[in-house]
Parts: sequence; structure tokens; C-alpha cells
Amino acid sequence: MKRSFKLFAVAGAAAILALTTGCSSTDNSETAETSAAESEATVEGDPISIAFLMGAEADPFFQAMKVGAEEEAAALGVELIWQGDPAQYSPETQIPIVDAVLALNPTGLVLIPTDPKALQASVDKAVAAGIIVVNVDTRVDDLSNVLTFITGDNQDGGAKAADALAGKIGYAEGQSYQVVVGSSSPTATTNQARLEGFTNRIAEMYPGIEIVDVAYSESNPEKASTNVNNWLTKYPDLSGIFAIDGTNASGASAAIEAKGLKDKIALVGYDAYPDNVAKIKSGLITALIAQDPAAEARLAIQAIVNKVKDGVDPESREVVIPNVILDSSTSDADLKTYTYVAN
Amino acid sequence: MKSISSRLRPHVGRRRLRALASNQSAILVGVLIVLIGVFSALEPKFFSVATAGNILTDWGSVVLIAVGMTYVIISGGIDLSVGAVVGLSSVTAAWTMATVLGVGQDVQGSAAYGTMLVGAVVSVSVGALVGLINAFLINKLHIAPFIATLATMGACLGFSVIISTGMPIGSANDFSLIAPIDSSYVPFSWAVVAVIMVVTILGFFLHKARFGLYTYAVGSNAFATRVAGINVERQRTKVYVLSGALAGLAGMYVYIRLGAGSPSSGNGRELDAIAAAVIGGVALSGGVGTILGTVLGTLILFTVQSGLIMVGLAPDWKKVVVAVLIAAAVGAQSLRRGGGSQP
Repeated sequence: MKRSFKLFAVAGAAAILALTTGCSSTDNSETAETSAAESEATVEGDPISIAFLMGAEADPFFQAMKVGAEEEAAALGVELIWQGDPAQYSPETQIPIVDAVLALNPTGLVLIPTDPKALQASVDKAVAAGIIVVNVDTRVDDLSNVLTFITGDNQDGGAKAADALAGKIGYAEGQSYQVVVGSSSPTATTNQARLEGFTNRIAEMYPGIEIVDVAYSESNPEKASTNVNNWLTKYPDLSGIFAIDGTNASGASAAIEAKGLKDKIALVGYDAYPDNVAKIKSGLITALIAQDPAAEARLAIQAIVNKVKDGVDPESREVVIPNVILDSSTSDADLKTYTYVAN
Repeated sequence: MKSISSRLRPHVGRRRLRALASNQSAILVGVLIVLIGVFSALEPKFFSVATAGNILTDWGSVVLIAVGMTYVIISGGIDLSVGAVVGLSSVTAAWTMATVLGVGQDVQGSAAYGTMLVGAVVSVSVGALVGLINAFLINKLHIAPFIATLATMGACLGFSVIISTGMPIGSANDFSLIAPIDSSYVPFSWAVVAVIMVVTILGFFLHKARFGLYTYAVGSNAFATRVAGINVERQRTKVYVLSGALAGLAGMYVYIRLGAGSPSSGNGRELDAIAAAVIGGVALSGGVGTILGTVLGTLILFTVQSGLIMVGLAPDWKKVVVAVLIAAAVGAQSLRRGGGSQP
């Protein structure tokens, strides 16, 4: 019994060994062929490959960006290499991925740098290797060698949120109102910029509105809901809430719904998660500030293709895509266009 | 102004006081009263039915995983996967309700119960399955519980993002289940009543049934327990499955609270559960702990959280206060065990 088992094991191991070596040898020859074909084609100057390096796959923002990138790449006949860390938005995880992708020698690199300083060396390295670099959403410090920088405007988003909130409250001079801000993190630059835009706009245009508190949820919607529950107890006359991102909008809307204060509290959120867009219709969310990540991706790919095919530089070295306000007056078609989708 | 009895029998009074001081639960109740007093003095609105409701709403999800954690730690293990299981189970339940059953957010109130029951079954099953995998890794592959559950934690986080593409999934819900039964007099919701029932039953199982006795035995001395003829592996499996299933139930609770399954809704909750258990007197070395202690520990945790928000202190202070409470609880334990001779 035992001996026959051993025999089987040895035979099995041998078979697996044979299979793997067989496979790997075919793999090798295939790679050799394709790389030969590729280099030939590059001489003809035809196929363009673009490496797209985003921040964190788990973020709906990048999921929506991926859809735009894939559509545009397919439309222009470009090979798209979509890469990035599955969950962590950090230079420690991003830099090795950039290095690995540069080794593939793509025609262009679309980079969402997770840190303006830490990724500078990677950009310089790519440029030195003759790769065309575009920055999207965030940027490196030195843009002189970057073809173009395409971004949404978080300050502007915060300001628009202030306008939407004041509108819903029915702001009148001489009256006083209390609002709060639900944020995710005190250090995330996007959160900071939105809060700054919101605070400045309030100070400038709506002196009667007082921002009584800002609290953080660590991107956990249940914690966001906890913050709102406590605010509603402490500030019985609270007029409105600015939820600085998608998870805060989810948590805040749930807390308002559970407390039955749907018609008393104005809630302006950020990011067009499908679930939150549906809450505009039910009146739970007054407005959502939506970015257009898919458009950012499309423009980035277009810029590289135009440069490679026709040698044309983009009209502007810095493109700011305005935010869109989604509210009850937005048409169904527009709601559909701007809702973040993933495949 | 001493009472007659204490004037007549001073020694008995002192002995009683000492007995009271060595009773962990009595100390915890004392801490709770002090906390409530301090927060109420700083913010009078804190002393209200509404605040009690807020605290109990937060308590409901975390006490479930904290009770599971109590069983696991008493049995000599640790379960780091529970926070991620909350996210995964709520997302899987929501996905089943929204995509498989095709029920949307528009189904609200009692019409949602059928769908939600399916969601609850899915949620608890997902949790139990993860618990089973944890037990397999620990029993069969002999991986240390810390590492085994760290691995499943990562896998659960990954799967919840894959299923949800990072966005919350909304479906049928009844928000009145999470709202206070009577906003003026009864601060807790029906969901919290259900949690109290589950926790009471599990308290009975730990302290009055053979299941609990075996759990303590395994954690106190696994070798002696095995010699006594108890199947240690089987008991461990049951404990991890219980912990997973409770995390799944917490996932459904969070779903009801948010009206959506969100992948980040369990972020960091494993640490809240461990903190609650330790404050409640559970010893990480195994074999020691009570459900009442954990219930009070969780209550203290969320009293601190609500209090700090109401007082208007930055939530970072919560971490500091909780750290002090943990140090005090563990310090008190080792002192009681005999002068703190253990390092």
C-alpha cells in the first residue's frame, strides 16, 4: 500500500514537472515571437500602448475612471495597461508598480501620483526613457516634463457644496444657521481642499452660516452615521450637513432617514455613487457634487495619442474639469452620465 | 453621618467595599457613571434619552463581535477577521437582495421583511463560513490564530471590494427597526432589543452551559482539557464559527442601520471589539472573562465616543481615552491576580 502510494506520488510529481517545463518553454517562445512582432510594429510606428497607473482599485472614483480609459483606448485602438494597488493609496505601493510598468516600455504613461514628491523620480525616469507622461487627478511637483495635467477641482467642489447647501436652507441675510461637516480624514488632501473651498465660500458669501463642527469617519459609513446622530442631538436646530465624500454621504443620509428628519436637514454630499444618486430622487440628499473621472481618463489618453500620431501638444498644460452638481433639477440622462459606474 | 449598621460594624463595611472593588463589573459600572457625570457636566444635552439612543445604536453592532471575541479570547485565541467580515457579510447580503432577488431601495417598511430575512441568512452564513475557514487554518494547518485570522481579514476585505466594486449597495430596508421605539421614553430600537436577546443567550451559554465550561477549559489549559477527553479542536471550531456568525449578524445590523451594504462598514471594528473585551476584564492569555464585562466594556467605549463628539473634542481623543481605560483595566487585573508580579 505504502509503496504504491509513493510510486504514485513520484509519478505525479514527474508528470507535473514535465507539464510545467513544457508549458514554460512554449511560453518563452511565444513571448519571443510577440516581442519580435511588437518591435517590428513599433518601427512602422503603429500600435500605441498606454500604461495607466491609478491610486487604489477599491476606490469607486478609480473604478469610474477605468471605464472611461477602457472606452477611449478601445475607440482609438490603443493598448491599455491598467495597473495600481488594489486597496492602498500610497507611494510605497505605487512606486514599485510604476517601475515594473516602465520596464514594459509603453508609449505613454498616465500617472495618478499618490505623492507629489515621492513620484517625481519615477516621472523623470519615464521621461528620460522617452515615454510621454500625463498626470491625472493629482500631480508631481515639477510639471515641466509632463505633457499635461488633468484634474477635478476640489476647492471648487467645496464652494459649490456651500452654494447648494445655502440654497436648500433658504439662506437670508440677518438670519443665523448652523451646519456641520462630515469628513473622512484630517490629512487627505482632497478632503482638506474640499473643506477649505466650503469654509471660504461660507465666510465670503453666507456670513450667517456657522460651521459648528467637523468630525472624521475614517471612511467608515457607520462611524459617519454615529457623528451625525450625535450632532442631531447636540444641535437640535441644525440646518444642514456637508458630507465631504461618498461614505460620509451614505452614513449621514442613513442617520437622517432613521431619525425621520428627511425634510428638516439639508444634506449635500460628494461623489456620485449609484446608491446616493438614487437618494436625490427620494429627497434625502439635496445635492451631490460629482467629479468626472471618466472624462479625465479620456482626455489623458487623447492627449498622448495626439502627441504620438500628429506631434500635437495639448492646448493647455493644465486642464481643470469642472464639477457637476446633481440635484432634483438634473435630468435623468445627466444623472446617468455622471453616476460612477464600474464593470 | 454614618449609618447605624456601619457604625456598629465598621469592619464588615470595609470588607464589603473591598469585595465591591474587586468585582470587575462593579468597577465598570462605576467608570460608566463617572463618564456620564463628566460628559453631562461639560455638555448638559449629553444627559438625555436621545444620547442614550445614539450610544445604544452604536453599541448594537460592536457588542455582537465583542461577545464573539470574548469567546475566542477565553478559548485562548484571537479573531482579527471580524471587522472585515462585517463589511463582507453586509455587502454579500446587499448584493443578494439587490442583484439576485432584484429588490431595490424603493421597497421600504414591512414590505421589506421577506427580502431582509434572506439577507440575514446570507449574512450570518458568510460569517460562519469565514469562521470555519479560520478554524481550519488554526486546527489543521496549525497556523497561529493571529496570523490565520489576519490572512482571512485580508481576503474578506478583498472580496468585499470585488463584490461591491467599492461602492455601497442599497436594497430593501425598514429604517424604523433602527430608530428608537419611542423617542421620548424608550431610547433603544427593536434591532437593539434583538441584540440584547442574542447577547443574553450567549451569556447563558458561556456561564451556565457545558459549551462555556469547555471554552474556559480549552483556554485555561488545552493539554489538560485534551487529557480529560474533550475534543479541543472541535471546541475551537465551534468558537470561531460562533465568532464569524456573530460578525455576520453584525454585518446585517449595519446593513439595516445604513440601508446599504458597504465594504468599509467594518473598518477597524476588530480593534474596537478587542478593546471592549479587554476593558471588560477578558485576559488575552485565555481562560478569563465574562459576557457582562464585555457588554459594559462596549458601553464604555461608545459612551466615550458620543461624549467626545457632544463635548466637541476631536475624535483623536477617543483613542487616547480608550488607551488609558485599557491600561487601567489590564493593570487592575494583574494587581488583583497578586501584586502585579507578572510582566
